[in-house]
Amino acid sequence: MPDKTRRTYNIAMVSDFFFPQPGGVESHIYQLSSKLMDRGHKVIIITHAYDGRTGIRYLTNGIKVYHVPFLVIYRSSTFPTVFSFFPMFRNIVLRERIEIVHGHASLSSLCHEAILHGRTMGLRTVFTDHSLFGFADAASILTNKLLKFTLSDVDHVICVSHTCKENTVLRASLDPLMVSVIPNAVVAENFRPLSYEPPSKTSTTYNTAHKPNNQASFIHPNPPPPRLHLGPHDTITIVVISRLFYNKGTDLLTAAIPRILENHPNTRFIIAGSGPKAIDLEQMIEQNVLQDRVEMLGPVRHEEVRDVMVRGHIYLHPSLTEAFGTVIVEAASCGLYVVCTQVGGIPEVLPSHMTVFARPEEDDLVAATGRAIAALRAGKVRTELFHEQVKSMYSWTNVAQRTERVYNGICGDISEGEFYGYEAANYPGGNSWSAIRGRSGVQSFALIDRLKRYYGCGIWAGKLFCLCVIIDYLIFVFLEIWFPKNKIDICPDWPRKVLKEKDPRDGVR
Amino acid sequence: MAPPSALQQSATQSDFDSPPPLVRSSTVPTSLASHHSHHRPDPSHLAPEDAFTSPPQRASAFEYASNGSGNELRPRRLRRKDGGSRSRSRRRKRFQKLLWVKQSYPDNYTDQATFLENLQRNPRVQPYDFWPLVADSTVIVQHVCSVICFVVCFAGIFLERVSPNTVVGLGSFSTVIGWLLWDSWGGEDSGDGADDGLARSRSGRSYRDRREFGPPRRQDSGLGGGASSSHPNASTTSISSVTSANSSTLLLPRHAHSTSVTSLNSATSQTSTNGRRGPNSPSPDSSLKHRASSPLRNSRLNLRLATIKSAVLIYSTLLGLSPILKSLTRSTSSDSIWAMSFWLLAINIFFFDYSTDINPRKSAPVASLSTNAALMASTVLASRLPSTGQVFSLTLFSIEVFGLFPVFRRYARQRSWRYHVILTVLLVLGAGGGVGMILGSGWKTGLAGMVIGCLVSALAMGGCSWWLIGLQKYKNEIYGPWDPARPIIISRRGWDDE
Repeated sequence: MPDKTRRTYNIAMVSDFFFPQPGGVESHIYQLSSKLMDRGHKVIIITHAYDGRTGIRYLTNGIKVYHVPFLVIYRSSTFPTVFSFFPMFRNIVLRERIEIVHGHASLSSLCHEAILHGRTMGLRTVFTDHSLFGFADAASILTNKLLKFTLSDVDHVICVSHTCKENTVLRASLDPLMVSVIPNAVVAENFRPLSYEPPSKTSTTYNTAHKPNNQASFIHPNPPPPRLHLGPHDTITIVVISRLFYNKGTDLLTAAIPRILENHPNTRFIIAGSGPKAIDLEQMIEQNVLQDRVEMLGPVRHEEVRDVMVRGHIYLHPSLTEAFGTVIVEAASCGLYVVCTQVGGIPEVLPSHMTVFARPEEDDLVAATGRAIAALRAGKVRTELFHEQVKSMYSWTNVAQRTERVYNGICGDISEGEFYGYEAANYPGGNSWSAIRGRSGVQSFALIDRLKRYYGCGIWAGKLFCLCVIIDYLIFVFLEIWFPKNKIDICPDWPRKVLKEKDPRDGVR
Repeated sequence: MAPPSALQQSATQSDFDSPPPLVRSSTVPTSLASHHSHHRPDPSHLAPEDAFTSPPQRASAFEYASNGSGNELRPRRLRRKDGGSRSRSRRRKRFQKLLWVKQSYPDNYTDQATFLENLQRNPRVQPYDFWPLVADSTVIVQHVCSVICFVVCFAGIFLERVSPNTVVGLGSFSTVIGWLLWDSWGGEDSGDGADDGLARSRSGRSYRDRREFGPPRRQDSGLGGGASSSHPNASTTSISSVTSANSSTLLLPRHAHSTSVTSLNSATSQTSTNGRRGPNSPSPDSSLKHRASSPLRNSRLNLRLATIKSAVLIYSTLLGLSPILKSLTRSTSSDSIWAMSFWLLAINIFFFDYSTDINPRKSAPVASLSTNAALMASTVLASRLPSTGQVFSLTLFSIEVFGLFPVFRRYARQRSWRYHVILTVLLVLGAGGGVGMILGSGWKTGLAGMVIGCLVSALAMGGCSWWLIGLQKYKNEIYGPWDPARPIIISRRGWDDE
C-alpha cells in the first residue's frame, strides 16, 4: 500500500464521556483523535452537553466537538432513548460527510445509538470497549444484552487488552477475528521522572533508524542514566493514586498499609484520590496512629498526577478489576517500580522487570510490597531506565496507526484475506464466514441482512431488536423525505494535514 | 539495557501462574457438545463452547495466511535465529497475550492456543442430590404452612367458628412452651460450646487485630445497647465484674449489638443469642465461667426477666392499640383488604429469610421486609374484625406466628433434625386440617384436608426438587480474569465471624 494512494477518512467519535469530565476514556478519545488528525484524517467528536459547555467547540489540532443536548441520568450517561438521537445525528453526519462512526465505552448510550443509526444510514461502524463486565449479576446481564444488540451489526470492535477482548467476545457473541486489541497509550512526555534529561539528537536518530529491525526496541541505546541508589535506611515512598472505591481494592489497601509499615520501618505512603472508601483509610490511619507516615492528598487533577508520582519509589495498585490500567503505565513511565494485583488485563500491560504481581489477597499484597522494597534497596531494579522503555512500548501514534488499519479493513481498502488473516476462497468453511460479512470482507447494509444478524440475539430479544431496527429504518426513510440531503449544508473542512514521516509499516504487521 | 535473560524471564513469567485448566463440568448439557452447530443459530457467533471445540480449520487457515502473505517476515526470523537469542526466536514464533511486546501478528489475530484459556465454566457448581434437597425444602414448607395456619385462624375468627380466646390461648401456650424449651437448650448449650468458643477467641485473634478492631466494636455495642435498651443491666453488670478479662470485655458487647433488629422481636433475639450460641461465636459466659459462676447466673436470670418484661410490654401495648386498629380501615372495602393482605403475605413468603444460620447478624437484609409485610397483613386483616377482643387476639397471634415462631423453628432445626421433622409434619397436618375445616363443615373434611395437605406437600417437595435438579443442566456460569477479584482480607475475618 504505497503512501500516495493512502485514503483518509471522515471519522466521528461518539461517546457520552468527554472533556470537561476527566477520565481514561475521555483522554483516550482525545489523544486518538488528535493523532488521527495528524495522519490526515478528519475527526469530529460527538458527546452530550455538559454544564456550561454546549454547541460546538474546537480543541487543539482542529478537533471539532459537538455537544448534543441530552438528558443525563447517571454518572454522565445519557438516558437511553433508542431513537431520539437520530435526527440530530443524521444532520451532523451529513454536514460533516462522515464515513466512519467510532463509538467508545459500553456504558454510553449515545455511542450505542450512534452505531445503530450509523448502520441504518450505511456507514461503517467501530466500537471501542474500555471496560470489563462480569456475567453474574442482573445489571451485567442487562448491559450485556444491550451490548449484544449494538454489536450484532458492527463492523469492527477494538478492545484495550486481550482480557477485554475475551470478555467482549463472550458478552456480545462476536467473531473473535472482528475484534482487534489495541492498547491505550500514555503521553510519555507528560510522565517524566524527576531527574530526566531528554536523549540527545544523535541518539534519537539512531533509535528510529534501527527501530524496524529492533523488535525489542525498548532496549535503550543511549548510555544509561546514572543508577539511582537507595541505602537501607533511606525512606522509600509508596504512592497510591486511585479513586477510592471498592472495585479499586481500597479495602485491600486499608488492610495492607499498617502491616507494610510495621514490617518496613523506613517507608511511607502517599495516597491521592477520593471516594467513598476514603473514610475507611482515615479511620485506619487514626487507629494505628500513622499520621506521620501516611499522607492523604485528596483528589488530584490529572495534570498533577505526575508531580505526585515522582515523589515516590513504588507505585501500589491494589485494584480488583481493570481492563487496561493506564495508571500503572504512567507510574512506570515516571520511573516507579509497580506493585499490582494480578487481575483483568493488568498482567499484559508491563514487562515483569517493572512489576511485582500479587494475588488480590492481603497477605500476598504485603509480601509483594516487601519484595519490591527489598529489590529497590538491593539496587536490583533499574527504575531510571523505565521511562525510555515505556516510551517505546506505548505511544498514541502507534495506536492511531493500528486504528487506521482497522478503518482500512472495514472499508475494504485492504483485502479481507489480509485483514482477517485468511483467504476466504481457500477456507473450507468459508461460506458461513463470508456470508455474514458480505463481499470484500465488509458487512452488508441490506436491511434483511441486518435483521438476520439481530434476529439471532435471543428468542424474545431477537424479535424486539428486529422491531427496533425496522422502526429505525422507517425513521430514516421519514427523515430522508422531510429533511432531504440537499437541504443540509456541507461543512467546509480544515485543510488536511499531510502525513510527513515515512510509514514504517508498523501498523500493518 | 535489559539483558536477554530479563527478556526471557518476562516471556516465561508473564504467562502468569499456570491457569486452571478448562473444566468442562458435568452439568454441561451433552447436546451442546455433540451438535453445537445445530444449537447456534449463527455460526459466526462464538458460543462459550468454542473455547473447547473451536473449528480446527480456522487455525490452519490462519496459519497458512499469516505465513503465506507475510513473506517479508521470514528472513527476519531467520536472521534472529542467527543472532542466537533464544528468547527472541521463541517470541517470534509464539503469540503472546502481552500488550507491551511488539508482535508480528495483526491486532485482530486470535490465538487458538491462548484465546479464552482462562475461561472457567461452572467452577463452583455442586450438583444437588435429591434427598438433601427435599430435606432442605422443608424449611419453605414450614413457613408456608405457618402462614396458612394464620390465615385459617383469621378465617375461623372472622366466620366466628373459632373463639378468638382459643386461638390466642393456644398460641400463647405454645409460645411459652417454645420459650421454655429453648431456654433449656440454651442452658445446656452454654456448657457444651464454652471451651471451644474461648479457645477460638484466644487463638484465632492476635493481639494486634484486637487492638485494631476493638474500638469500633465497643462503639457498636454502645449504640446497640442504647437502642434496644431492654437489658442494659446485663451487659453493665457483667462488664464491671470482669473488666480484668481482656477478651471477654471485647467480645461481650456484640450480643447487645446484635439485638437491635426490630422492636418487636428484640426481646426474643436477645434471649436467643444469649441463650444459645453457635460454636462460632465465642460466648461471654464461657470466659466468665472461669472467674465466677454467680455473674453468669445473674445474667441469665436478668435475661429471662428482660424477656418477660418485654412480653408484658408488648401485651399491654397491643391491648391499648386494639380499639384503634379495629376502626383503622373502616372506610376501605373488604375486597381491597383481601387483595392487599394476599400480596403482603406473598411478600412475606418470598422475602422470608430461609437461611439456616442462627446468627442474626448475617440475616438477609430483606428479612425485616418480610416480617413487616406479615405484620401489616395481620393488622389490616385484624381491622376487619368487629370486636376489640378479636382484634387483640389476632394481632397477638400474628406476632407469635411471624415474629417468634420463625426464630424457634430455626433453633429447632439447628438443635435436632428430629424436632424439625416433627414440627414440619405437625405444621403440614395443622395447615391441611385447618383449610379442610374452614372450607368444609366438620372433622371429616378436616381429616380429608390433612391427607390432601400431606399429599400436596410431599408432591410439591419431591416435584420441585426433581425439577430443580433437572434444570441444573442449563447452568452455565462463566468465570474468567475479567471478573472482579474477591479480595481476601484477613483482619476482616474477625468482622465476618460476628
